Amino acid sequence: MSTAQLDRSVPVVADPAGGVLHRVARLRRTSPGRLQLILAGLVTLGLLTGLVAGLTAAAAATGTADLGNRAQPLLVEAETIYSALADADTTAAQAFLAGGLEPTELTRRYDDDLDRATTALTSAARRTPETGASADAIRQLSTDVSRYAALVASARANNRQGLPIGAAYLSSASALSRDSLQPQAQALFQAAQAEVDDGYGDARSSWWTALLVLLLVALLAALVLAQRHLSRLTHRTFNVPLLVATAVTLVLAVGVGGVLISQRAHLSEADTEGSWPVALLAETRIAALRERGDEALTLAARSGEGALEADFDETTSRLDKLLTDAAEVMPDGRTGSDVRSAARAHRAYVSAHDEVRKLDNGGNYDGAVALAIGPQTSRTFTGFTDDIDRALESRKDVFRNEIGAAGRGLGLLTVLGPLLALLICGLAVAGLRARLEEYR
Amino acid sequence: MRARVTLVAVAALSVLAAAGCSGDSSPLPGRPSASAPAPTGPAAAVDTSCNPRASLKPTGALPAPGKMPAGTYMAEIFKRGRLVLGTSQDTLLFSSRNPFTGKVEGFDVDMGRQIAQAIFGDPDKIQIKVIGYDKRVSSAVDGSVDIVADTMTANCARWKDVNFSTIYYDAGQKVLVSSASKARSINDLGGKKVCAAKGSTSYDNIAKVPAKPIAVDRPGFGDCLVAFQQNEVDAISTDDTILVGLAAQDPYAKVVGPRFTEEPYGMAMNNDHPEFTRFVNAVLARNRADGTWKATYERWLGDFGAAPQPPVAEYRD
Repeated sequence: MSTAQLDRSVPVVADPAGGVLHRVARLRRTSPGRLQLILAGLVTLGLLTGLVAGLTAAAAATGTADLGNRAQPLLVEAETIYSALADADTTAAQAFLAGGLEPTELTRRYDDDLDRATTALTSAARRTPETGASADAIRQLSTDVSRYAALVASARANNRQGLPIGAAYLSSASALSRDSLQPQAQALFQAAQAEVDDGYGDARSSWWTALLVLLLVALLAALVLAQRHLSRLTHRTFNVPLLVATAVTLVLAVGVGGVLISQRAHLSEADTEGSWPVALLAETRIAALRERGDEALTLAARSGEGALEADFDETTSRLDKLLTDAAEVMPDGRTGSDVRSAARAHRAYVSAHDEVRKLDNGGNYDGAVALAIGPQTSRTFTGFTDDIDRALESRKDVFRNEIGAAGRGLGLLTVLGPLLALLICGLAVAGLRARLEEYR
Repeated sequence: MRARVTLVAVAALSVLAAAGCSGDSSPLPGRPSASAPAPTGPAAAVDTSCNPRASLKPTGALPAPGKMPAGTYMAEIFKRGRLVLGTSQDTLLFSSRNPFTGKVEGFDVDMGRQIAQAIFGDPDKIQIKVIGYDKRVSSAVDGSVDIVADTMTANCARWKDVNFSTIYYDAGQKVLVSSASKARSINDLGGKKVCAAKGSTSYDNIAKVPAKPIAVDRPGFGDCLVAFQQNEVDAISTDDTILVGLAAQDPYAKVVGPRFTEEPYGMAMNNDHPEFTRFVNAVLARNRADGTWKATYERWLGDFGAAPQPPVAEYRD
């Protein structure tokens, strides 16, 4: 015995890895040694499973919460910033077209647009990390929005005094909006969309989940094999603690499976019924406002059809495609009928626009302006955007509900997963210690 | 506002009486620089290869409104039902949008309305198309407008692409500075930023000043005033007439210096239709003689003093 100890101590110092392997190899040769190895294996697997179960649930819960509380709201805010700025630009141009003092409802609409844009900017800033493309876009937007508001204020003040320079201030403001503000808002919108896509990946935590499934399978297999080994060794059919441990492992596996499968199902609903249609509809609304802006600015420039009218045509075909896609994604229900109604309203608006262009091209500028900003066309256009708004709101609700459902159970799993794993380890120790003691 | 326009304008431009003007160097897009104004340096400022003031002589009596001779461009315009006038909407007194009514009006617009009156018997049969300063030549050439009346200087470079009417106004380039400025002419603005509309002769002229001011361009002169008020430029330089309109909108601006160029204004037309140029010249000749020109001057520029004699028509044939 003492020589054996002496023999062993030398290689342990000289080569620890070789020593451990040597020791394991020696343990495998005796029955109690094998039991010790089995116990160590079970406990290690059990602890790992517990740890990974907790981490997986925590990662999935954080990812889901981030998606629901940050990424998706950021996307919605980016869209609000974009559409509010585009609408402000259009409204200012329309107020200018009207001639004389700006109509009250238009100035109010412009003020509301600017309020919406700045409010959305503030909350988007809170949801964005301090560095990165989104943060840069937000900073640039904040500076430019105040410059924009100052230019429009100068335009109004000059207009009130009857000075034609007001028109030049307005076109400077519009150039700032189109060349800087709207592209920045678009960049923010795209960054937010990428964050939503990443958010789904994070919420699914696929690597963690795969590891956890692997560990659960390994743990179950190890438990079954250990019991088979014990029943052969001891000629007792059942080892009660190990049997209970197997049952607990199964419960854990079913719990993990149930929670994660349900989470993934809700995430996928949130994506296909929420995020994706929201992104489609948001883009539709942006395109709609762009059309209206092109129309107003073409008339304000008073130079006939130019680049802006070409942009109108391009936007129209993009919008038609977006509406077709939206109708495909949302074929039935309230949203489906809203989308179909939006498509009809859009066609009505485009034919009114064609009439406006015909009047202007035919030399009837005043008639074209009257038709473009008159109540009939304004109602048609507002009806169109209202349809999109309604569809958008209902899809946002779907997203919120699905994300709420996806997060359910994950918190419980974060706590219960490790606890159950500890229980499994305890049971394994209890089951094997009784056998080990028989060798003392 | 009228009162203030008067006051500022009179103060700034008491010597305007004889003339008016504005600039535009707009070469045709894609055309080699051969047709552009001659190279820099004060000596090269004037292309003397022609007499830019001389236009085509009217032939015969002016036809009565509505009775345009068949086959002429005037008959074509009559058939269409309106005259398309290319102009700007931010040149106060010449062609600017009246913020109260939304209508574009001024001396240049009235020149166009008088042509419409001669063709249709109705000055309202006119479509106003706002064109950039850099599109004045090309718009006449490509036929998107019938005639350009937009404070446009008749010069030899442009005569190569378009026909001009006889001169209807004489202007000259000056400079607008802040009322606190000590500059007395453009020669005191070396190294300062001076704004002019893109494609205007004024822009080219700034670069030719020996004191070497820095020329900055904006889409129009209204945009130059915005840049001036936002402290992006130190001065604006163009025809005195345009500057007076700008100064009238900003009590902290003044027009200084002697005219350092001569800018005779003509209306530009496509040179495929010489009969139209002769017709326009006939209308101008009649209006000079019957006092219409004087009445138009008094309506828009009367605040600067009594109407001078209209520019004398010169012909090249």
